[in-house]
Amino acid sequence: MSGMNRRSLLKSASSVAGLAAASSVIGAPLIAQERSLKIGSYGGYFEDSFKAHVYPAFTEATGIKVESVTQPNSADWLVTMTQATQAGSVPTDLSLYGRATMIKASRVGGLLAPLNAKAMPATSNMDPYFVFDDTTGTIGVGAMSWFTSMVINPEEVDTPASWAEFWDSSKYEASLGLPRNFNAQFLDIVAATFFDGAETFSTKDGIIALVEKAAEIKPNVALWWSAESQMEQAMKNTDIIGGQYYLDVSNLMALDGFPIQAVFPKEGNPQDYGSWCLSSLSDKGDEAAEFINFTSDPAIQALMSRKIGTAPLVPQSKTDLTDEEFAFVSGAPSIKPAYEAYLDSETFIKETWDKMLAGA
Amino acid sequence: MSAVSDPEILANSAPTARSRLADLSLSQLVIWGLILFLCLSPFALIIAVSFGEKIEGASWEWGFSLVNYQRVFVGANWPEEVTFLYLQNLYYSLYYAVFAAVIAVLLAFPFTYLMTGLSRRAQSAWLVFILSSLSLSEVFIVMGWDVLLSNRSGLPMVFKETGLTAWLKEVGWFDTLREWGLANPRNVKFKTSVFATVLTMSYLVWPYAVILLYPPLSRMDRSMIEAAQTMGAGPWTVMRTVILPSVRLPLFGATLLLFVFLLGVYVAVSVFAEPAKQTMAVSVYSAVRGATLNAPFGAAQAVILLITASVFLVLGQWMSRRASA
Repeated sequence: MSGMNRRSLLKSASSVAGLAAASSVIGAPLIAQERSLKIGSYGGYFEDSFKAHVYPAFTEATGIKVESVTQPNSADWLVTMTQATQAGSVPTDLSLYGRATMIKASRVGGLLAPLNAKAMPATSNMDPYFVFDDTTGTIGVGAMSWFTSMVINPEEVDTPASWAEFWDSSKYEASLGLPRNFNAQFLDIVAATFFDGAETFSTKDGIIALVEKAAEIKPNVALWWSAESQMEQAMKNTDIIGGQYYLDVSNLMALDGFPIQAVFPKEGNPQDYGSWCLSSLSDKGDEAAEFINFTSDPAIQALMSRKIGTAPLVPQSKTDLTDEEFAFVSGAPSIKPAYEAYLDSETFIKETWDKMLAGA
Repeated sequence: MSAVSDPEILANSAPTARSRLADLSLSQLVIWGLILFLCLSPFALIIAVSFGEKIEGASWEWGFSLVNYQRVFVGANWPEEVTFLYLQNLYYSLYYAVFAAVIAVLLAFPFTYLMTGLSRRAQSAWLVFILSSLSLSEVFIVMGWDVLLSNRSGLPMVFKETGLTAWLKEVGWFDTLREWGLANPRNVKFKTSVFATVLTMSYLVWPYAVILLYPPLSRMDRSMIEAAQTMGAGPWTVMRTVILPSVRLPLFGATLLLFVFLLGVYVAVSVFAEPAKQTMAVSVYSAVRGATLNAPFGAAQAVILLITASVFLVLGQWMSRRASA
C-alpha cells in the first residue's frame, strides 16, 4: 500500500465518484421508468426458491424488478423493522409476517401501511380469513401457508391414530422432540386433543389446564427444540423417534431416505400462514398490490406448493395440483392456532409455559 | 498500594494532577469522551430500558416502573402467585459457569505446567496451535459436540457397537441411567444433560485457561523446584508446597475471569441444557428477541446478571488482595 501515494489514491477515488455521478445523470430517466420492489422472505432454501421461481415470473408478467431481502423469521424481523421505522429508513417494502406477528405489528401501530384492496382482485380466491383488516384497512394478505405436523420414525413405531398416544410412556419414554417456545402451537395440539380447541385459551384456568396437560408429556420428551436444525438432526440421528415438525421439510427428508414419516392424526395438525405486509415508510404501494395480486393467483399458489413446499391458500379445486402433490404440503383436519389469546395473555402464557418446562 | 496512602506523596501529587488536567489537549478530551461514551452508553441504555413498561399483545414503551425487577424475583403474577423461575435461571447461570471454569482450569493447569517444561520451539508450536483453536466460534464447537454426542454417529453409537449398552442393561445400571435422564429405552443418551453442557462450556474456555496460566507458569523459578527436590521432596510435596502456592493467585484469577465469561454463554446452553436448567442469558434473549418483544424485562434480567457478575469480581478482587497481603 505504501507504494501508492495519497494523491493518486485521491485522484482515482474522485474519478470513480465522478463516473458514478455521470452515470446516475445519464441513467436517471431510465431509472424513473423502471419499477422495483424490495421483498423480504425467510432466508435459506425458502428465499432461494422465491428468487429462482416466483420473482422472475412476476418480473416477466409486470416488468417490476424484485430485490430479495433475507428475513431471519417473523418475530425477530419485527424488532428489526420497528427499529428501522424509528430510524426513518426500512430495508424492505414488503415483509413476510406470521399472523401473530402481523397482529402484533398492527397493535404496535405506525409500522404497516394499508394495502389497496381494489388493486388485488385475485385475493377473492382465498378464504377471507387470510385477508387481515384492522382499523386502518387491509394490512396483510396471505402469502402461503405451512403445517407443523406429527412426525414419527416408522422403523421404530406404528402410525399413531391420535396425538394422545405421545403421552404413552411405555412407547415414547425420552424419545420425542417438541418445540420449546410457548407459541409454537403445541398448546393448540393439546387443546384440540384433550380440550375444546381455541376456546380453552380464553380463561386463565383454561390455559393452566392446557399447560398442566402438556407437563404430563415431559418424561417422554428428549429434545425441546428451538432451532429447526436441532429437530432435523435429532430425527436423522435417531436421537428421537417422534415429535412435532414442519410438514414439508419432513416429507423432503423422507424423500431423501431418512426414517421420518409425517402423520395427520384424527385431531389434525396446526396450520400457520405468512402474510405480505407493506411498510408504513414504503412508497411502493402500487407495486406491492400488483405483487400480492400475482401471488394470490391459484396458478402461482400451485407453483409455490410445487417449488417451495408451502400449502396453497386457495382450495385445491382451483389449482391444478394433483392429490399426491397436495398431500405433500397439506392435509386435514387443520388446527387453527388461538392467535388472539397468544397476544392478549402473552406474558401469562409464556411464564406459565416456561415454569412448566423449568419445573419451577 | 501503601505508597499511595503516604500523605506526603498524596500532597505532592495533587497539584501535578491538576496541572496535568490543564495540559490535556482537546484531542485527548475528545478521545476520553469517546471512550466513556462507547463504554457507558450501552449500560445506560440497558438500565433505562429496564424501567420501561410492557404493553400486552404489542411492544413496550419508555416509562419508570420497577415491575420488571419485581418479576425477576417473584414472577409476573405476583402477588396471586409466586415463582422463582428467573432466580432458578440465575442459579443455573452460576452453576454451569462455576463448574465449567473450575474444570477448565484444573485440566489446563497440568497441561500448561508440562508445556512450560518443553523446549522453546515446542512451547511456541503449542501456543500457536491453541491460539488458532480460538478462531473456532461457539457455534462450531457446539455443532461438533452435538455430532459427537448423537445417537447414530457419536458416543452412544460407540456404546451400542462395543456392547457396552447391552452390558449396562445386563448388570442393571441401565435403569439407573434412565432415572438420571442419561438413557432412553433403546440406548444411552447424553443430550440434553448437565454433563453435555458443562463439557462443552469447559471445552470452550480451555484454550483461554492455558493462555492465562502460561505467563505465570513460564516465569516461575525452576531452581526453587530443583532446590526442593534436592532436599528430598517428592513430586507431590513439590507441587503442594512450592508450585501451587506460587501460582495460587493466577489460578484464582483465571478461574474468576472464565467464570464471568461463561455467565453469558448462549448457544451451548440453549442446545445442550434441558429446559428445566436454562440460564439467564437464554431468558434475556427470549424476552428481547422472542415473540413477546419484552425488551424491558430482558434488560432487567441483564442488569441483575451484570450486578451478579460485578459482585463476584469485587469479591474475587477482595479475596486475592487479602491473600497477597
